[in-house]
Amino acid sequence: MKQIIYLLLISFFISAVSCAVDEECRKNKTVQMIVGFHQKTHNLVTNIYTTSILTVDSLTVQGIDSMGVLVDSVLYNNKKNVSLINLPLNKFAQESKFVVRFNDKTDTISILHTNTDEYLSLECGCLKIHSIDTVLLLTHNYIDSVKIVNHSVNNVNINNAEHLQIYKFK
Amino acid sequence: MQSIYKYISLSSFLLCLAVLTTQAQEKKVEKTQEKKKESTLPKVKLLNGFTVQVDVASLLTTALIHGDSYSMEAGVQFDLKKKYYPIVELGFAGADKISNENVGFKTNGLFGRVGVDINLIKPKKDSKPTNNLFLLGARLGMTNFAYDITNVKITDNYWGGTESPDYMNQKSTKVWFEIVAGVRVEVYKNVYMGWTVRNKNLLGQDAAGKVFPWYIPGFGINTSNNWGVNYTVGYHF
Repeated sequence: MKQIIYLLLISFFISAVSCAVDEECRKNKTVQMIVGFHQKTHNLVTNIYTTSILTVDSLTVQGIDSMGVLVDSVLYNNKKNVSLINLPLNKFAQESKFVVRFNDKTDTISILHTNTDEYLSLECGCLKIHSIDTVLLLTHNYIDSVKIVNHSVNNVNINNAEHLQIYKFK
Repeated sequence: MQSIYKYISLSSFLLCLAVLTTQAQEKKVEKTQEKKKESTLPKVKLLNGFTVQVDVASLLTTALIHGDSYSMEAGVQFDLKKKYYPIVELGFAGADKISNENVGFKTNGLFGRVGVDINLIKPKKDSKPTNNLFLLGARLGMTNFAYDITNVKITDNYWGGTESPDYMNQKSTKVWFEIVAGVRVEVYKNVYMGWTVRNKNLLGQDAAGKVFPWYIPGFGINTSNNWGVNYTVGYHF
């Protein structure tokens, strides 16, 4: 009886020690703002505006920092047939500016946002989530208007749900 | 260091309390027994003393394996009617860990558990009474502790820049529930050895997005469910 107890004790002891914890971070640590392109069409007969998804033939997107200098890497470089894009917001500044070239027309948009730390775990550390306050259209060459659909840019991404909707100039 | 002194003083106070209550109880029991001497079956006393036990498993793992966490605990278990065994366990535990991403976690704190075990070995009529126990019971554990999380690095790969916020002196209170099974054997006169296996269930959840402890004193690594093993050596008074 006593031997069985000792044996059980040892086996429990080993199993308790050998349980290693998975230390790899498997979570996505970057959150992105999702922007969709739309267009309004005016039906002259019924006088009703209808919106539909717009596919841009060629799109180039690049960030500009607070000093007005273009960020080295290009987010989208002459990408064909785009209707939805993901843009990273600046984690340590309240403003993220992007230069967007639609085919041959270029617009600059500025997104004003607040950033909050979100702690994930010891393995993953922290991520920054954003809350969009305002969107400023600095030029109006291609874009008519921008609608904020969802203010909170966080890691809860449900089926590519848009945060911004950009409407094309008629 | 201060918390160790606090722990020692608290446990010694508990011990004194236990001794006083036993003495009082025993006097009462003696009186009632004298009255009922004519009854044939040997009456089981209400309080049959108490066992002070130290957990050797946690001490050994702390001493031998220089891991991320350390723990030590001791307990006082009372014997009521040789069937019910109320127990108070007190301990001190902590952790000091650096994750793969160089995030640091540090904590130490006191913890306590209260609960009761039931002895499942039924005394046989003919054989001489045994002091070996097969115990099944439950505990409610609690700890109030502070922790530091340091060097939580955030980098912006596109816009550039890094930040390494520290979260110092975060306070936390955790409560958990345990189901315990174990064996206790009298190896020498009044000297007991035994082991227990326990399944720990954390009550309550951490708020999403806020910092939360990686390790909880007395509970272990912060998951909803944990296993624990104790190997105790105790003396029966």
